[in-house]
Amino acid sequence: MNAEDYKVTVAKDLADLIPVFMKNRHKELDTLRTALAAANFEQLRQLGHRMKGVGNSYGFTHVSTLGKYIEDGARSGDRAALQASIDEYQDYLAKVQITYE
Amino acid sequence: MRCLIIDDDEDLRNLLSRYILGQWPDAEIEAYDPLERDLPDASFALGSYNVIVLDYMLGRGDGLEWLKVLKQRTDCPKILFLTGAGNEIIAVRAMKAGADDYQRKQELTREKLIASLRELTASAVERTVSPDLAARMEAHSLGAKVRIPGIEVLHLIGEGGTARVYLASRENDDEPLVVKILRQEIVLNKNALERFMEEYAMVERIQSRHVARIFSHGNYQNNVYLVMEFFEGGDLSKRLGGKPVPPPEALKFFRELMFALGDIHEKGILHRDLKPQNLMFRRDGSLAIVDFGIAKNIAAADRTGAGEVLGTPRYMSPEQVQGRALDLRTDIYSAGVLLYQMLTGKHLFDGETAMEVAMHHLNTQPPPLPDHLEQYQRLIEKLVEKDREARFRNADEVIGFLSRKLEQLPAADDKAPAVH
Repeated sequence: MNAEDYKVTVAKDLADLIPVFMKNRHKELDTLRTALAAANFEQLRQLGHRMKGVGNSYGFTHVSTLGKYIEDGARSGDRAALQASIDEYQDYLAKVQITYE
Repeated sequence: MRCLIIDDDEDLRNLLSRYILGQWPDAEIEAYDPLERDLPDASFALGSYNVIVLDYMLGRGDGLEWLKVLKQRTDCPKILFLTGAGNEIIAVRAMKAGADDYQRKQELTREKLIASLRELTASAVERTVSPDLAARMEAHSLGAKVRIPGIEVLHLIGEGGTARVYLASRENDDEPLVVKILRQEIVLNKNALERFMEEYAMVERIQSRHVARIFSHGNYQNNVYLVMEFFEGGDLSKRLGGKPVPPPEALKFFRELMFALGDIHEKGILHRDLKPQNLMFRRDGSLAIVDFGIAKNIAAADRTGAGEVLGTPRYMSPEQVQGRALDLRTDIYSAGVLLYQMLTGKHLFDGETAMEVAMHHLNTQPPPLPDHLEQYQRLIEKLVEKDREARFRNADEVIGFLSRKLEQLPAADDKAPAVH
């Protein structure tokens, strides 16, 4: 990922929703790790699907992209791909820079 | 306005509430979490709401089942159903189950949500409706009136200059389809009507994986319609989103576009209006061209009239700008402009007016590709040559060039920095 991919612009009137949104994403990351450790692919698929829906809505397109990878990986039972996507999600959440306009 | 939002995702409930309150500050919103509450029972005052926003995936339970149960109640208000993108069969089933509108959740913007809710609650919330809204509501009801054998017209999904576009489905298997109904003002225009009917006649003659499939056409009580396949992957414009696509992917799309052009040119047909909105993707990622609305049979008399310029200036060939007689090399040029945009994320030429852009096609040399795309420079140059005699002569020649010159080279780094 290049630096641009970590930059997100959010509408100003949504600023107060972002702390809850980010808190939920971190919780989601923990749940993803637990689900992968338990090889619970159905839960992983559902979580990926949810990420896909919610990411774009808030302007976090990369969350949606990773959600799609996780949903696809869960469908095919590809543990290595799932691990890579979850690691990338962790990295993304640690580095994302949010600007309000 | 009273709105019930049923969604298992706290963030989406918050976001939708915020959008609604931004538009209707006095709105009363109830956020309903299906993970904590069961399907509303008979004691729940459903009729006290003007509208319900209902998600398809409810965490536990299926939103379609909830929709069916809610819609059986006589006090059920209008329902906006949220579906996943790329899964239009759910939209079909939701509309058949009584949903009053649907939106693809991943693409739901503030504007789309408000427009939909405004339509659904127009009679209850607003005393007068704007002319735009009235026209859209009329278009919705038109779709419901048109009878096509074996086809159910479900919902208005778009409006173009010549036709209104509806989501439809085959009655026996819920297969999502598109029905285009020509605007009345076009039906009254003999030339435009002939063009529309020609679109069907031409595309029917083409058997190509990369050309949209047309299933039927006809006229129901003076409503001229066309039934075609539904593209769940959206169009190239959406895929680009103002950014480049990785070169291997751009080349794949371009190659499929060349197959499409090869197939239509073989039948003596020019497209003449290639643009990102006319390149559609199926669920499997394959590309097909649509909208032969201004396509012209090479052998047919030109009905566009002397000097009349038809097409989209950004993708026009120099000879098109000049209003000269066209041949298949005009589509090759437009495809080159599209490839440039796919590789760089930028338009080949920009300008403040359509005329300025058109004049660039006529007079300005194309800007060179960035360094990391240098290996495609010769290809682009030969596609967008202003002198058509120096351009590739046909799609086969382009495909041959791709095979000979590019497939032996290592692909350009698809992680190359995005060009903004």
